[in-house]
Amino acid sequence: MIVAEQKPLEEIKELLGDAEKVLVLGCGTCVTVCFAGGAREAAIMASSLRMASKIDGVQRIINDMTVQRQCEWEYLDQVADEIRDADVVLSLGCGVGVQAIVERFPEAWVVPGLNTTFMGMPVEQGVWVERCAGCGDCILGLTGGICPIARCSKQLLNGPCGGSQDGKCEVDPSIDCAWQLIYDRLKSKGKLDLMLKIQPPKNWQKARHGGPRRIVREDIRLHLEEE
Amino acid sequence: MDTRVETANIVVFACRHCAYAAADLAGGLRLQYPPSVKIFELPCAGRVDVLEVMRAFEDGADGVIVAG
Repeated sequence: MIVAEQKPLEEIKELLGDAEKVLVLGCGTCVTVCFAGGAREAAIMASSLRMASKIDGVQRIINDMTVQRQCEWEYLDQVADEIRDADVVLSLGCGVGVQAIVERFPEAWVVPGLNTTFMGMPVEQGVWVERCAGCGDCILGLTGGICPIARCSKQLLNGPCGGSQDGKCEVDPSIDCAWQLIYDRLKSKGKLDLMLKIQPPKNWQKARHGGPRRIVREDIRLHLEEE
Repeated sequence: MDTRVETANIVVFACRHCAYAAADLAGGLRLQYPPSVKIFELPCAGRVDVLEVMRAFEDGADGVIVAG
């Protein structure tokens, strides 16, 4: 899932400026399950802002709604009237959600209520960790299912480095050394020979270094069917 | 009693099985408490979400008690 966390209320208040009608828009997918921007968080945010406005002596109408996914226009269309009616839309979706609203409703002013942080998962209640960096060229098949791009501080392809100490990363002792994890995993599976394969430099063009990415699937594009 | 306390709007979310029964008993015993205290009986205090607490504050409560 995409993991995000809420911006501080003070920053959000600043982003809202002098808007009189605010729509707090939650998203029912990733940010719901990481408790950052779902229906409940949107309602709490709207309530917090209403109280803050009262305390600050600002006249504001603040409503909240939540769509299943902000990153798909079909879902945004369901709240088109509310988006158009608001002076500011405070999106509690990820950065994709914010931009999807802007692209679908260019007349709307949209600000982010979250800091979108990483792709990850919960390892215990209330703790999320990064697991995928979306590098565009997955090597998990070589590393026993443990990603050195997302989990090694240096993103090493041929680790570990000298900073691996007692299974921990020199950057922060709370970070497991990804390459120690990979070694332990491969050893337990009798596949340590994979460690001996020297990986050539990675093609980072498939990651962000080649500019913004896109995937085109001609087999499911509608215009081809119509032609 | 402090007059501020007597006029403070207090919302109480009380569990039917314990806190509300206790409040009921207090009534039976003719124990006095300020009329600005509003008690809401719930099947379980576990039902109370932060949203209900915030709604109470938004609507003018000075304090909220969740008792269960």
